[in-house]
Amino acid sequence: MSDTTPTLASGQAQRPRAQLVATGFACAATSMMMAGALGFYMARRHASGPHPGHDWLDGLAVPNPQFDYALLTLVASMVTAHWALWASRRRDTAHAWTAIATTLILGLGFINMVMYSLNRMGLEIGAGEYQNLAFATTGLALAVVVIGLLYLGLMGLRSLGGSVGQQGSTAFGAAVFFWDFAALVWAVTWYTVYVVK
Amino acid sequence: MSENTTDPTSPGVPVEDPTPFGWLTTADHKRTGRLFIVCSLLFLVLGAVFDLLVRLDLTSATDFVSLGSDSFAQGFAFSREALTLLFLIPVFLGISMYLVPLQIGASNLAFPRAATASFWAWKISAIVLIGAYLGNGGPYGGWANGVDLHLLALSGLVVALLLGAISVATTIMTMRSPGLYMDETPPFTWSSLVSASMLIVSLPVLLGQIAILYIDHRYGRVFLLGNYGIWERIDWIHRTPQLFIYVVPVLGVAAEIVLAAARRRVFEPLAMYFTIGLVGLFGFGAWTNFAITGEGADIIDGFEGVVLVALYGGALLGTVGLLGLLGLAVIQNRKLPKLSTSLIAAFGAGKLVLVGAFVGLLGAAGDWLEIAGRGNDGNAQLRMTTWVTGQQSVLIYGAGLLGLLAALHWWAPKIWGRQLNELLGLLNFIVIGAGALLAFIGPTLSGLLTEQPDFVYADPSATAIYSGWVDDSGAAGLSSIGAAGVAILLAGVVLLLLNLFVSVGLKKGAQATDDPWGAQSPEWMLPSPPPMGEPDDLPMLTSGTPLLDSAEVQAEAEEVPV
Repeated sequence: MSDTTPTLASGQAQRPRAQLVATGFACAATSMMMAGALGFYMARRHASGPHPGHDWLDGLAVPNPQFDYALLTLVASMVTAHWALWASRRRDTAHAWTAIATTLILGLGFINMVMYSLNRMGLEIGAGEYQNLAFATTGLALAVVVIGLLYLGLMGLRSLGGSVGQQGSTAFGAAVFFWDFAALVWAVTWYTVYVVK
Repeated sequence: MSENTTDPTSPGVPVEDPTPFGWLTTADHKRTGRLFIVCSLLFLVLGAVFDLLVRLDLTSATDFVSLGSDSFAQGFAFSREALTLLFLIPVFLGISMYLVPLQIGASNLAFPRAATASFWAWKISAIVLIGAYLGNGGPYGGWANGVDLHLLALSGLVVALLLGAISVATTIMTMRSPGLYMDETPPFTWSSLVSASMLIVSLPVLLGQIAILYIDHRYGRVFLLGNYGIWERIDWIHRTPQLFIYVVPVLGVAAEIVLAAARRRVFEPLAMYFTIGLVGLFGFGAWTNFAITGEGADIIDGFEGVVLVALYGGALLGTVGLLGLLGLAVIQNRKLPKLSTSLIAAFGAGKLVLVGAFVGLLGAAGDWLEIAGRGNDGNAQLRMTTWVTGQQSVLIYGAGLLGLLAALHWWAPKIWGRQLNELLGLLNFIVIGAGALLAFIGPTLSGLLTEQPDFVYADPSATAIYSGWVDDSGAAGLSSIGAAGVAILLAGVVLLLLNLFVSVGLKKGAQATDDPWGAQSPEWMLPSPPPMGEPDDLPMLTSGTPLLDSAEVQAEAEEVPV
């Protein structure tokens, strides 16, 4: 390196919001993945018969109340996730712990509720076109939610543990952002597959 | 500076293990980049060999010559997947991983361990993919579990490449040296950002499709005709305009080398960034034509036709604009730059991107006019003929491989500390260039003149036994030209590997100085090669051409009388 070139000491490289930006890219990728799957679903639905959304259900009844409660649970978990972020930015450990724990419990409750709804619906893999498409799209959306939950839990613990220093709340903010996004993914999938059918 | 320069006491700076085991766990972007480059080159040989076998089968319209009816479709699918997912995307991702931090004054990639994980996930998925094909899996395979395994391996490859792309894009967005604004970044860094961003928003569509394909194939095969419904829905990632996204870094390589050789800045930097971005942007959208319709690739209506014309037109416009700007820089210099392998190959690669866009535009316009009822003769659409194979050849073999040749000759001193042999390089350029042109011309003409099918999704054997499809027997002769081209090109690839082995592996290449080319961009301020691990100090950059800046300041100082 030239002697006249000004330098920065190691470790001073700028990394503001690297995790947030990477999470944004991950959200963009996930959006396109869901667009690919749901687009496929919609194309097959369009070709399913003269009454799309009914012809291929073949007697399957969607338990709407259960799915509605699941979505409401997810929305509630978004509120508690933001509560956790608000508290962690203020170093309010008691509030943050409570909010993170509540978010994780609500997230697990959501997954449980969706699994229950699918069982109640009698959705059997391999039984028909709708069933296979619903399994694939719902599976992808649930995978996004599970990843979001793990990300949120990990970043929340790291943030509160102080292992990421000043970047803690930014990292946790990225996880909360992804959790909001995961809820949006589920909402779009639910509306497409179980409301519009 | 010692070989292992990392200070264990520096916070957050990982210590590199200099032993071979360190390649497994490395957090050094330079090692990860090298791993991607070398492994992709080896997979290129495999992909080109299978492409040659496929093309040999096409030299006879009535018989199989090499692969046979059982394995032709799988050989075809594997050659396409190997040339894109195992070679073209990862090789430029590897070069980006190596160079981007050096070009923007960053100590490392944003997520170096994620980058390493992306390499090993890619590598393992590639091996699983090959294993699936060897076990008679893959599209049109006879082993059902092998077909599923192929889909899983494909999703592994996509996830791995996405992880790498996110790492590169995040690095460029967040780790530039303070003062180095986005419109000052070197062209290769910008092209890496464009390519990575477009990969991030296009490749995941394949993941969504794979989830549905996998579920349906594994459980009941309810609506996708089993293994016959797979290839037509995933083929879009190997076709234009998606291929333009993969060759965007080639434009960055060309800009970097031409501007350095011309000793000039580009006339209008924002225009250069815009043109490179345009090519990436118009490469996006291939999936809308194939994947989502659920009708396969043989349906195209008027609207899709217009969209395709617009996509190719945009890519053409971007390439013309960039090459025009680079030409202006050369003219501004008022003397011809010193010719070298990297410069000639960079020019050749840029021109072949242009040819690819032009051929794409011609084909799309022809198809659209036919749909619109003007000149409709009831013929097959060009995009269903070997016209498509020609486009693939000119972009992958022509632009991609010549761009890689240029990049390796230009940056080998920085990557391995040795210069590649120039004489071998020039010979390499001629061989690869000639092979790529023949591989392009044969199928393109055959598609245009005889309507030889590119791939018959419903009956893959008919792709090779095409006597019932084509207008005349000229297709066999033109296919032979294409096969000869791939054979010549394969010799060129072997020559390139030989050059690398002798110059770098055996250390016969000239020891490189820090800046052997009189280049402009920041990586040439560092030792060749930069030491392992994160550097103790980082350049404070305010420009993407710091070496040109200091040369100009020095020249001005010498002109002013004291």
